[in-house]
Amino acid sequence: SLTISFGLINILPISPGWRVMLQNSPQVFNWLNCMAEENILAQNCVCVLKRHVTNVLKDGRRVVIILEIEVIKPAGEVGGKLGDPVPYNEGKALKYFIIPLTAQKVVSQPAPAQENRLPLQPQNKMEVKSFNRDFGKKAPLAMPSTPGGSSKVVPIASLNPYQSKWTIRARVTNKSGIRTWSNSRGDGKLFSMELVDESGEIRVTGFNQEVDKFFSLIEVGKVYYISKGSLKIANKQYTSVKNDYEMTLNGESTILPCEESGDVPMMQCDFVPIGDLESRDKDAIVDVIGVCKSVDEVTRLTTKTNREVSKRSLSLMDMSGKLVTVTLWGEEAEKFDGSGQPIVAIKGAKLSDFGGRSLSASFSSTLMINPDIPEAYKLRGWYDKDGHAVEGQSLTELKGGSGGGSTNWKTLSDVKNEHLGHGEKADYYSCIATVVYLRKENCLYQACPNQDCNKKVIDQHNGMFRCEKCDKEFPNFKYRLILSANIADYGDNQWVTCFQESAEAILGQNAAYLGQLKDSNESAFDEVFQQANFKTFVFRNRVKLETYNDESRIKATVMDLKPVDHKDYIKSLIVNIRKLAM
Amino acid sequence: MKKEEASRINCSMLLQHINQAVCFVGRVSKVHPSGKTFTAVDGEGKTVTVELNCCLEEELSGVVEVIGLVSNKGVLMAATYNLLREDRGTPFDLELYNEALKVIHDFPQHYPFEAAVSG
Repeated sequence: SLTISFGLINILPISPGWRVMLQNSPQVFNWLNCMAEENILAQNCVCVLKRHVTNVLKDGRRVVIILEIEVIKPAGEVGGKLGDPVPYNEGKALKYFIIPLTAQKVVSQPAPAQENRLPLQPQNKMEVKSFNRDFGKKAPLAMPSTPGGSSKVVPIASLNPYQSKWTIRARVTNKSGIRTWSNSRGDGKLFSMELVDESGEIRVTGFNQEVDKFFSLIEVGKVYYISKGSLKIANKQYTSVKNDYEMTLNGESTILPCEESGDVPMMQCDFVPIGDLESRDKDAIVDVIGVCKSVDEVTRLTTKTNREVSKRSLSLMDMSGKLVTVTLWGEEAEKFDGSGQPIVAIKGAKLSDFGGRSLSASFSSTLMINPDIPEAYKLRGWYDKDGHAVEGQSLTELKGGSGGGSTNWKTLSDVKNEHLGHGEKADYYSCIATVVYLRKENCLYQACPNQDCNKKVIDQHNGMFRCEKCDKEFPNFKYRLILSANIADYGDNQWVTCFQESAEAILGQNAAYLGQLKDSNESAFDEVFQQANFKTFVFRNRVKLETYNDESRIKATVMDLKPVDHKDYIKSLIVNIRKLAM
Repeated sequence: MKKEEASRINCSMLLQHINQAVCFVGRVSKVHPSGKTFTAVDGEGKTVTVELNCCLEEELSGVVEVIGLVSNKGVLMAATYNLLREDRGTPFDLELYNEALKVIHDFPQHYPFEAAVSG
């Protein structure tokens, strides 16, 4: 059988054994028990792998389990590193540790005098005296011990399916509610939680009896000793937890509260800069952190299943200068306090393509306000110093688009050439255009005088006006505007409809006054339209292909309009021209 | 001379346009007591001397647009001028005008103002 000798580059104590990095190894990581206690397996010694088993993990990585190893030249005699070893898989996480099925202790005898060179084949094989050792009995390092004192604490990062007797000490960062199911095979229930410690994080699920045993015991934010869960490959679809494995509690598992929990971290997050969210796939689960620049009022809406749910939107900005809208639901939405522009971190937020890119905090997300983590302090410092003055560009297209909506600039010929509005959803765009025609005929209608109702009323011709929606008759009405206009730029024109607010903005008069003029002073009424003609605005329009009686037509509506800030416009034109020239 | 044929320039372009019709926009700096000449500053802060063919009959101040010929010595021999009102609307931004000026000179293929105007 082939024996290969290696230089032992590095050896690190990781309870309950040792992590060994071997030079010349095709795959790098191993875990040996005992051994180095007697300084036999020490850094820079030369050893021979006598018996081993290689496993290939799901992601292609290979792990070598050492079953028998022999030191042929102790470290002291080698006198330093052999050559200049480079890690084989540069950058791969050093996280897989396998305990050999039987540990063997190898004792070396002093080697007979020989030349100081690395032999390819062991030439002076030392006599090996080996004997079995139960691993787990003696702690190589002083690690925090469990209340029972019987097992040592291992890092979450070291958990793997090949070991069953371990204990971790971790903080619960998230706990779900109990979910039940009922199918042909019977009923069941489960709950899940996420744990974090200094080395990493992991998702844990408990079923049926484990729910009864542990659910009420677990409190989010507290630290526990957890032992003997089953490990399997993680299903990453539902979580942003960074661990290739996830844990299931079983009949042997134990969970005990831990008192000294100070140094266990609060959270493990891998924050994605908001600016990078554009390149992530929709439905991805991400962690984000940012300053809550603004927050809306709580609203209540009814779901398809006729449930009432609370909802609140907030706008998050980070140092990328980009903003994103985050939606909170339920109690979280109701309780949220965005005053003072706090730092908000969300672990496991769901990315959606609504409005371009937006985030939603789901039942499995964790929301933290002003968390005690370095990223939060960095953001606070940046925002207080410079960030508060940054206007920011939002990734989320807000309805109406004004004030923070990311601007989708188009020329009117673009709108036609790019077939905007032909898709399933309406398209929104901004453009600079000039009003070239305003249709003053039928621009006013008589509407229901009720504040919340804008339905056209029917003239009863007896001094009363009937609203079908409110099912009432009124002695009066209020005038409202629906203005048809043609706007144009250098390349094309577009027929648009302006409702009340935008119509009033173009005409420079309110609907009530206009209605009065129309009834009393025709020429003054016409004059308003004359004055409004040939004004240039920044339009924010909505286009949608609508089909009515077999006829399909693009309908464009003005959502918002603003006067052109010529200086800003010119500046942006110059910038764009220079960019095109690059 | 026609305004359409005059190239828009600033002070640093004067010497490249000797004996050519130009259009200059700048802020009036100093008016000579004789009223026949004045200096103006462009968006880059440089100064040009403008000579008029007849005396000034009004108070000259603010931003002015001058059309004329550039002499051998780099003096702008004005044929006509007009003041840009600053009491209405947005005040004229001379620096921004200068940036736009640089653009039309950097990309003459896209801004063929020198092309003959019909009629």
